[in-house]
Amino acid sequence: MKWLDKFSENSARSVARQSSRRGFIAKVGTMMLGGAAIPLLPVARASGNERPDAPAESGDPRSCDYWRYCAIDGFLCDCCGGTYNSCPPGTTVSPITWIGTCTNPVDGKDYIISYNDCCGKSSCGRCLCNRNEGDKPVYQPPLSNDINWCAGSSVDTPYNCSTAVVLGLAVSDS
Amino acid sequence: MKRVIATISGITLLLGCPGVQAAETYTAHTNYMLRCQGCHLADGTGTPEKVPALKNEVGRFLQVKGGREYLIQVPGTSQSPLTDQEVAAVLNWILEKFSSAELPADFQPYTTDEVARFRYEPLANASEVRAGLLHKLKQKGP
Repeated sequence: MKWLDKFSENSARSVARQSSRRGFIAKVGTMMLGGAAIPLLPVARASGNERPDAPAESGDPRSCDYWRYCAIDGFLCDCCGGTYNSCPPGTTVSPITWIGTCTNPVDGKDYIISYNDCCGKSSCGRCLCNRNEGDKPVYQPPLSNDINWCAGSSVDTPYNCSTAVVLGLAVSDS
Repeated sequence: MKRVIATISGITLLLGCPGVQAAETYTAHTNYMLRCQGCHLADGTGTPEKVPALKNEVGRFLQVKGGREYLIQVPGTSQSPLTDQEVAAVLNWILEKFSSAELPADFQPYTTDEVARFRYEPLANASEVRAGLLHKLKQKGP
């Protein structure tokens, strides 16, 4: 074990000779300040803006008055073992879907929301939410939220619940 | 003086009236997401046997006579709640985005006037017209 003592002592002395405590503190300080400054660089800010699919949000996704549900008609997947973005286990997301816009109260912007239905199990039956902003009668099928989007899709199985996925910002032409 | 006040009030009323302000219009991509993507999907692949694919397909219709009008008259386009101008913009966006390789060399983008000309002549049987166009394309060959 003597060699280990020697090695440790030599290493410690070598480090002590080649560095100073002040130098170490200065380096740590530089790294901390530099690291804190990185998110302020324009590149980082730009990448933040390119992710409108993850807007700042407030409210309870299990409550019908949650902002994403402005045009929903169905059972909230958040109460059924899934989330507002994902289907409960054992169900399959319907690829075809009813899409609309909702205004996010946090930033006041309009976002495109896709109300994908989850299919493959009988109705969840919890948290029925029927808000109909922008809903049209069923003779305009693409604009009606009364449509069961599980029927007619590739999954073609019973309706379980509805998600509310943010697809992005609704971008105006001007 | 009264007339001046009346004129100013009139202008103020006009400016304050929502109908005078230009209605909000979305970009072609946003309109695609809101009006088409629900069925044709984000990548334009559709659902086999149920929703026609746009990707690598839709531009082919412009290679045969009648195909250009068909894309305006097909129910999904003609009955959409978009204005003629928005329809033209979305059609052009779809063609460029999903099917630019299939477009004929002399392709000219759709115009608002063109959409207005054909949109209100409904197809009596859309699937029959579609089958006829696909037959023409098959005969024409690649």
